[in-house]
Amino acid sequence: MKRTTWPSLVIGSVLALLTATAGAVRPHYGGTVRVMVREAPASVEPATLAAWQNDHISTLIFEGLTGFDSRSHLQPKLATRWQSDSQYRHWQFWLRSGVTFQDGSPLTPDALAAALRSANSQWQVSVAADSVIIETDNPTPNMPAVLALPENAISNHTGGKLSGTGPFQVAAWQPGKRLVLSAFEGYWGGRPFADSLEITMGQAWRQQLIALELGRADVVEVAPQQVRRATLDGKRIFTSAPNQLVAVVFARDPQSEEERHVRQSLSAIIDRAAIRNVLLQGQGEVAQTVLPNWMSGYAFLFTTPTSSPQPTVPLSAPTLTLSYDPSDPTMQLIAQRVALNGRDAGVNLQPLAAPASTDARLVTITLPSPNPQTALAAVARAAGLAPQQFQGSSPEELYAQEQQLLQSGRIIPLIHVPQAVAIAPNLNSWQEGLFGNWDLADVWLGGAKP
Amino acid sequence: MSFRRKLLLLFTLTVIMAVLAVAWAVSGITHRAFEQTEQERTNALVAQFHREFTRRGEDVARRVEAIADSESTSRMALDLSRQPSDAGTYVNEAAAVAKAQQLDFLEFVTAGGAIVSSAQWPAKFGYKEALVENHPPPGNAFLKREELPDGTALGLFAVRAVPSADKPLFVVGGRRLDQDFLASLELPAGTRAMLYTNSGSGFSPELLVDAAGKVPQGEKLEPLVQRVQDTGAEQNQVISWSSDPADSENVDAIPLKSEQGDLLGLLLVGNSRRDLVAVEKRIRSTALLVAGLGALLAILVSSWIAARVTRPVEQLAAASREVAAGNWSTQLQVESGDELGEMAEAFNRMTRELTDQRERLVQAERVAAWRELARRLAHELKNPLFPLQITVENLLKSRQHGGEQFDEVFRESTGTLLAEIANLKTIISRFSEFSKMPQPRLREMDINDLVRDVLLTHQAQLQAEGRPPIVARTELEDSLEQISADPDLLRRALANLVLNAIDAMPKGGTLTLRTRDAGPNVCIEVADTGSGMTKEECERLFTPYYTTKEYGTGLGLAFVQSVISDHHGRISVRSSPGRGSTFVIELPRHQEGTAQLSASSG
Repeated sequence: MKRTTWPSLVIGSVLALLTATAGAVRPHYGGTVRVMVREAPASVEPATLAAWQNDHISTLIFEGLTGFDSRSHLQPKLATRWQSDSQYRHWQFWLRSGVTFQDGSPLTPDALAAALRSANSQWQVSVAADSVIIETDNPTPNMPAVLALPENAISNHTGGKLSGTGPFQVAAWQPGKRLVLSAFEGYWGGRPFADSLEITMGQAWRQQLIALELGRADVVEVAPQQVRRATLDGKRIFTSAPNQLVAVVFARDPQSEEERHVRQSLSAIIDRAAIRNVLLQGQGEVAQTVLPNWMSGYAFLFTTPTSSPQPTVPLSAPTLTLSYDPSDPTMQLIAQRVALNGRDAGVNLQPLAAPASTDARLVTITLPSPNPQTALAAVARAAGLAPQQFQGSSPEELYAQEQQLLQSGRIIPLIHVPQAVAIAPNLNSWQEGLFGNWDLADVWLGGAKP
Repeated sequence: MSFRRKLLLLFTLTVIMAVLAVAWAVSGITHRAFEQTEQERTNALVAQFHREFTRRGEDVARRVEAIADSESTSRMALDLSRQPSDAGTYVNEAAAVAKAQQLDFLEFVTAGGAIVSSAQWPAKFGYKEALVENHPPPGNAFLKREELPDGTALGLFAVRAVPSADKPLFVVGGRRLDQDFLASLELPAGTRAMLYTNSGSGFSPELLVDAAGKVPQGEKLEPLVQRVQDTGAEQNQVISWSSDPADSENVDAIPLKSEQGDLLGLLLVGNSRRDLVAVEKRIRSTALLVAGLGALLAILVSSWIAARVTRPVEQLAAASREVAAGNWSTQLQVESGDELGEMAEAFNRMTRELTDQRERLVQAERVAAWRELARRLAHELKNPLFPLQITVENLLKSRQHGGEQFDEVFRESTGTLLAEIANLKTIISRFSEFSKMPQPRLREMDINDLVRDVLLTHQAQLQAEGRPPIVARTELEDSLEQISADPDLLRRALANLVLNAIDAMPKGGTLTLRTRDAGPNVCIEVADTGSGMTKEECERLFTPYYTTKEYGTGLGLAFVQSVISDHHGRISVRSSPGRGSTFVIELPRHQEGTAQLSASSG
């Protein structure tokens, strides 16, 4: 062997090693990411998204003027900047230039204003050059956060085809069953790595985990009570901050002091810690407030009342019916536990699987926004109350508004539950969002399927 | 009803009652025997249920023991005995194990009584299980009421302890006593089991189930259930589910009690009485058939016996009728020497005596009649003879004295003699007339016309001067049909009655002539308001030559009776002293031979 051969071999080996290493970490374009979700919506239009708790999918198709990043900080999306008057009634948003809808039409101020008017009839929306102006009757200090809500996402119906400005566009849609999204090449933020997303809907948690186990899915939802077991099994689990509220919501205001007392006694007697530790397998936080502490910062001020095993309600108290979602076994157990605890306080609660009109419902309310004002208003709407009107964004006002909501007697918070997701080993660049966002535009598939 | 029929009825009733009594006795004894057999069958079933309970309890105990001995349970016990331990990881353990061991109830309970995991009520973790907390768990299977999210249920339970480092973990497992349990029981045909979950006092049909679900008409078992609730002991009752006796059950209620003696429920074993009722029905039908045949046979035999017994009596009755009809010489044939034979002999003696007495009576009456006739004749003839004698003596005296007075006396005497002789002729003609009563010549006639005619004829006598007036009234039924009668004879008879009535009312009064329809007859009534008659006078009134009047011959009413008899009619009188008299004539509408007579007269 010649003396020059050895250096050449060494250099070649080093280059080959460097190339291989760079190939392992460099994102790959292409492939289909398979996703499974429990919900089975009948539509993907933004107007119906308020009823769709899982907005991870909708944000892939549609965008709003603003949005939250993985650390729940408000970020510009279709708007690049904004400003308001001192009363928070007059807002002006300047549009990002060069944005087009997935059908190829450009995003203009007029199209954006029309979409906003359609979603919010109370707003006066006007166009000024490259900006839109939103005027409201009441102060709306959280307007940028409101505009980040899925229902305020901008869509276009040109030619009868629904399109947004997000990184993926609808390729196939079977309502409630299957949604196929393809990468939007003209996305202003850059083309997503995956060529397409195949989303299977209406899948139970257990089925999703099995599918992940069998390599039939890349991203699945994980129930809170499954997180511990899945983690012990070595699965890649990502858990958000607690952004769902499990609560008992009453159908009407208390009609008497006795009824208010019954609700207060029930709230005091419910063993939230047992629900969290056993039924939710340690996931989530015991909730005495509507907003979790990480969001409001003052939840610790609401002390947990000492539960008494002695009945505190007169025996003549009527039986209350409590409905729950029969498709969720954990909710059924929680409902039974609440009824069991209630009986200790003399409150007769009858859990019913039927979602018919009942005295109370055990519900899981997904907080739609990391913004506390927006989240509190959403919970109020879910409880059948008028959303709060904020004059500003001070914590004191937020505290007062939440306390008022709790004192209404319409809602008993139980647990703040996080959202969890399990992903396949070959899925890369998954950003663990504080609020549980799914940034599927940035993930990419690498290597062989497990 | 004839004597034979009475006797037949008596015999038949006696035999039928005897047959019925036997049938009733047989039916009752059979019924009791069947009931006893049925009760024994029910008792056997109840005993079988007790054995089945014991067997299932042992099965539950075995399964619970298998769970307690399993490695996973031992690991759980060990894990929970560590400090700190996380019982939350086992919250769903009981449900999975219970499913594997085919148990309806399963709980893992700490030594302190806290539920770690509950299959039947997963949300009940952390709550106390009183069974473990308060008492040392029983070794054998036992009954227990278990609270569930949707109510309460009964179950057969067993408890086993899983030893661990510190305190044991208890496994409480059981099987539910519900309609599935009832459906799994192997029952003989016609038998069913029901389960009532006792929820305190009172009865709720909703808590009563059988293998098919809620028991229809469960409220009918309420008295039985309440008796068990009151006494706490096994009770029995026949339950009729409908009006059909075959649709009934003999229900035995067995109390199901806890270890502490509380009544948790009732196991009701229903034994259908359909077969029993069918057999009883067949026996009853056979008994009725035998009784019917017996009764029929009894009737036939009774009929024969009655005929044998009553034949002499009937002959006696026939002979009596003959005697009543006037054949007094009737004799019976004496065929036996018993009481009936003696009675026939006595009857024959009686008829012979009657015949002899009648002949003697006829002879005596004939003599009496001749004597009466002689007396009447002597009386009637003596009255005119005395004036005749006086007149002739006066005539002789006048002739002896001569002179001018003789002619005058002669004239007067001849007048008197002629008058008396005429009187004698009249008397003789009356007697002659009575002896020569003519036969009626029948023809169709209107009786009302006859009554009016007679009343018109005697109008002068009614209004005669020198005596109080008599008012005549007629009450005639216009719708009367014509009758067959001899108008002349009836007119004379009716005139006789009218004249008698006039004579009976010397002080005046009211004479009423009345006609009316009396079925096949026509009635004519002649009523006066005179002095009336005594009962004895009424009885002798129609005897010839009997009269109540001072100058009567006693032949008038005899004539009337003779005329009415010749018309096949009847005459009677109603009278009492001071209230007047009423003569009632009843004449048949039609006489035999009327047509011929009418034709011949026409």
